Amino acid sequence: MMNSPKLNFKDVKDWIMSSFFSSKLNSVLTVFSSLLLIYVISSLFGFLSSAEWEVVRINRRLLLLGRLPLEDTWRAWPILWVVCIILFSSIGAWGAPSKWELLLMSLAFILPTLIFFTMPHIWHVVVTFLICSISYLISRYFIKKSSYLVQAKKVLIVMWILILPLTFLILRVGGGPPPTLWGGFLLNILLASVAIVAGFPLGILLAVGRATKLPAIKTVCTIYIETIRGAPLVAWLLLAWFVLPKFLPNLFGLNEVSVVIRAMIVLSFFASAYIAEVIRGGLQSIPKGQLEAADALNLNYTSKLIVIILPQAIRVVIPAIVSTFIGMFKDTSLVFILALTDLLQVGRLIPEQDPKFFGRQIEALLVVASLFWIVSVSLSHVSSKLEKNLGIGTR
Amino acid sequence: MKNFKSLLVLFSLVSFAAFSFACASEDDSASTASSGSTLEQVLERGTLKCGVNDNLTGFGVVTPSGAFEGFDIDFCKAVAAAVLGDSSKVEYTPTTASNRFEALGSGEIDLLIRNTTWTASRDRELAQDFTVATFYDGQGMMVYADSGYNSIDDMEGATVCVLQGTTTELNLDDRFTGTGMSYTPLTFETNDPLQAAFEEKRCDGWTTDKSGLASKRAEFPESAGGPSALKVLPETLSKEPLGPLTRDNDSEFYDVVQWVVFGMMQAEESGISSSNVAQMAANPSNPGMARLLGASFEGGEVQDFSFGIPKDFMQKVISQVGNYGEVYDRHLVPLGLERAGSLNAQWTEGGLIYAPPFR
Amino acid sequence: MRNFFYSTMQWSRLQRNRNLAIQGVFLFFVIIFGLYLIFQAFELEISLSHFSSRAGFGLSHTFLTDYTSNDSRWNAYFTGVINTIRVCLVAILLTTILGTIMGVARLSKNFLISRIAWIYVEVLRNTPLLIQIIFWQIIFLQLPHISKAITFGSTSAISNRGILLPWMSTNTNGQLWLIFMGIIALASLSLSYFFNKREDKTGKRASILGFSISGNLLGILIFGLIGVITFFAFGQPLSLDFPLIHQNTKGTWLQSGGFELSPEFSAILFALVIYTGTFITEIVRGSIQALSKGQTEAAQAIGLSNYQVTSLVVLPQALRSIIPPLTNQYLNLTKNSSLAVVIAYPDLFMVSRTIMNNSGHALPVFFLILFTYLTLSLFISIVMNLINRRVTRIGT
Repeated sequence: MMNSPKLNFKDVKDWIMSSFFSSKLNSVLTVFSSLLLIYVISSLFGFLSSAEWEVVRINRRLLLLGRLPLEDTWRAWPILWVVCIILFSSIGAWGAPSKWELLLMSLAFILPTLIFFTMPHIWHVVVTFLICSISYLISRYFIKKSSYLVQAKKVLIVMWILILPLTFLILRVGGGPPPTLWGGFLLNILLASVAIVAGFPLGILLAVGRATKLPAIKTVCTIYIETIRGAPLVAWLLLAWFVLPKFLPNLFGLNEVSVVIRAMIVLSFFASAYIAEVIRGGLQSIPKGQLEAADALNLNYTSKLIVIILPQAIRVVIPAIVSTFIGMFKDTSLVFILALTDLLQVGRLIPEQDPKFFGRQIEALLVVASLFWIVSVSLSHVSSKLEKNLGIGTR
Repeated sequence: MKNFKSLLVLFSLVSFAAFSFACASEDDSASTASSGSTLEQVLERGTLKCGVNDNLTGFGVVTPSGAFEGFDIDFCKAVAAAVLGDSSKVEYTPTTASNRFEALGSGEIDLLIRNTTWTASRDRELAQDFTVATFYDGQGMMVYADSGYNSIDDMEGATVCVLQGTTTELNLDDRFTGTGMSYTPLTFETNDPLQAAFEEKRCDGWTTDKSGLASKRAEFPESAGGPSALKVLPETLSKEPLGPLTRDNDSEFYDVVQWVVFGMMQAEESGISSSNVAQMAANPSNPGMARLLGASFEGGEVQDFSFGIPKDFMQKVISQVGNYGEVYDRHLVPLGLERAGSLNAQWTEGGLIYAPPFR
Repeated sequence: MRNFFYSTMQWSRLQRNRNLAIQGVFLFFVIIFGLYLIFQAFELEISLSHFSSRAGFGLSHTFLTDYTSNDSRWNAYFTGVINTIRVCLVAILLTTILGTIMGVARLSKNFLISRIAWIYVEVLRNTPLLIQIIFWQIIFLQLPHISKAITFGSTSAISNRGILLPWMSTNTNGQLWLIFMGIIALASLSLSYFFNKREDKTGKRASILGFSISGNLLGILIFGLIGVITFFAFGQPLSLDFPLIHQNTKGTWLQSGGFELSPEFSAILFALVIYTGTFITEIVRGSIQALSKGQTEAAQAIGLSNYQVTSLVVLPQALRSIIPPLTNQYLNLTKNSSLAVVIAYPDLFMVSRTIMNNSGHALPVFFLILFTYLTLSLFISIVMNLINRRVTRIGT
């Protein structure tokens, strides 16, 4: 690289020539793709300028919380705050986000909250923002520098696991709404989280079962995994609706659990099969030397598994697990088949609510798609940060 | 490490307990499909679980606040008012045409009021019972006014949009294939893509119950031509009596639902509405009215029909929901479905709304 | 008693016996669970006898079958299966091509192209497929109404009732001729394979009338020659079938002839292809990046152009290692095709739900669905495994 710090015209021109017009094919492609880009962007702007967002604005609560009764809306805030605290403390304790990333994160957070929670909730939004920044700052500048970092990290991990039952408690305490009324974005996130949290241990068991030498256990696990992966999720969800109540025993009121719980059960089993496959890949990647060394140390099977094999296997496939999580999150939109009002279903219903909303499907769908997109992109970003941190994939 | 592991185990147990607490404590929505009568369960539970429609204007829609309203919804409220004394104690479950019967059969809901047609096969094969027809409808076909069709016989080779899982699909086929006409059905799961396809003239006709067609026509956006761009063909492809359903072998609850509906029809016939029910109950003008309202006529004994619910259930129903006419006017008249001259007028005016005597 | 304990402990000292014991206990619980399920299942009815009754409903896409509502439900189901296979096959083909092109584009030095590919992947991978399907349906509905269809002379037409393309129609000898040409195709393939092998070994090329041509060209020439001669000998068994848009006496617009790509089929095809394409892009990109840089450098050192480097050196090696993850994506695509229920494309899932609703029996139909999807997945896995074995046999 030359010494000159300034970017002069010749360098830029060279870059443009080599990048865009280095060969005939390249030039043609450049021209074609720039035309395509111009067309897409102009039609996007054309659409945005003529779009009417009324249908989304009026139904903000419906989109986020579904048919949660009006008097129970207050429950959403503590849940949001708990998630904020834990999320931002984790970012402060583990990550080292650059200023660019911090800006993006706050944008991704603030913009949707502003859009969805304008007056009269403006104070709630301010409180949320304060909580997020305070927890981040505390964890970044106090906890990280203190000697309690390791314990604090363990506490944070435990709290991540506890978020789910805490959410259920908040939703149900004091005569809260039954699960049938949970809906919207909240429902999607809940379903995905339960599916992963419940499916993860089950998936580990299945992967270990499939990898074992004992033929009986191996066959049963393989049959289970292949069967679940063999049919589409919509079919399994229908099974939960139609067939599960007839098969569950008539004790403890098991065969009358609400559809939401049944959907969670099916999603957990579904997630467990996919996670089992992912972990199986991880198990196969462990060098044989590790197993032999464990045997040489006279570790029994369980210790060998828990102390040596699983940590390594899971560490290697964390990106794949996060990608499974993203997939499950997107797949929660399929619960429409159980007549649950999740985010996508609300987005499809609201243009029909009122004659003046007819034809506004694209606006509603666009908002729904953006919400899904924000969550998925954040998760995949987290995954790539994790990859870098753990040094996976580098030779 | 050891401390952490035991801590982890402890916390996992706590979280598991919390989770099961959250699930178990929703036994206010538990009901057994196989044992006990539905009436007992509803009384015990304190809420009525109703399966309804969430995207049929006039019959069942979801408002921005998340509440339900519509013609069918009001009958749910009426049953709740009769059984539980409070029309707001209802838990609504939106069902689609494809999963409504399973919802009722599996115990998910107690009562299905979702513009469902009474047919012989449904009565027997599904192990469910139709109570009363609350709305006499018929299947119709809606086409564009400029299409030149004057009757279904003109629609040879047409493409018709229809919803999946309904008798509409089968009736449509009977009508076309039965008369030797070819056609192409486009079967959609829900109304929104169907409406989009019809607006873009992807299909030549839209078939569903005439009440649904009326509501869809009334809301047809001006950008696509407005209501005047559409016309509903005169033929009725089938009889579609719509009404509430309960499960088979559940006569107690079945009788309650049936007689609540009959009560609302009788109240309209007798001139009792939500505005005067209180006076009528305090001072009934004839023994018949007294029996209906569960009041005493000139100091006599109040008749108990042994429904298993309070004797004055009709008073609560009419004061909280209204009589049949009020419910109809509230939801269906704005759609342009006039009662006069239709099957849904009172029998005294030539219609089919007829309540057996409260005696 | 004590003897019993002692002999049990003795017996369990062998790892083999302990394994047997564990498996025995495990199997015991599994079998109890299985028996419970089967017992419960017997209380419900599991028979598919109601499938032989008259279907009573119509289907909008009846490719390869002449299904009418008078046929049995088995016929309806079979039509649904064909629809699923049809959309899956075409989608798998197209998405592989799209994914490969985008994967290469992602790594292009052309800033614009690599960024476009990056945006494509990031935006469409993270949006649920269902939204994309609905979106594509809306788009295809925006095409002009059939009365104002865009026509290209009288060869094809585009409207919101479908894209019509010319197709072949066969007369009586048609099928015979096609079978005959199929055999000839196989023969020419083996011929060119044989000639190529000979050229590799001895360097001698085939020669016709003094011109030396490669084995491939020879095979194509022979195939073409025989094809043309027999075409006329059989009495022109194929003819072009041009689509026709017309109105019948009552004013209904009809389209006939030709090959029709309905908007429903196109919507689900496009959605599946583009959505799965994002995943395949990432797989291809990953495998190209995993390729040792030395290969690219060596290829550039011997003076190959960028295009030649990609097509002759990089892709053949990279594509070899992507078959297992690719198979996974194909299986996902097949299962995702069940979402066609949303937009009126009668795939097997939608047809079986209609049957479920009409007959009221959910469980046996569900088993049928499960069985069908498992068979489809198995078939795809087997084919891809064969390809995998073939491809990884060559080289290291």
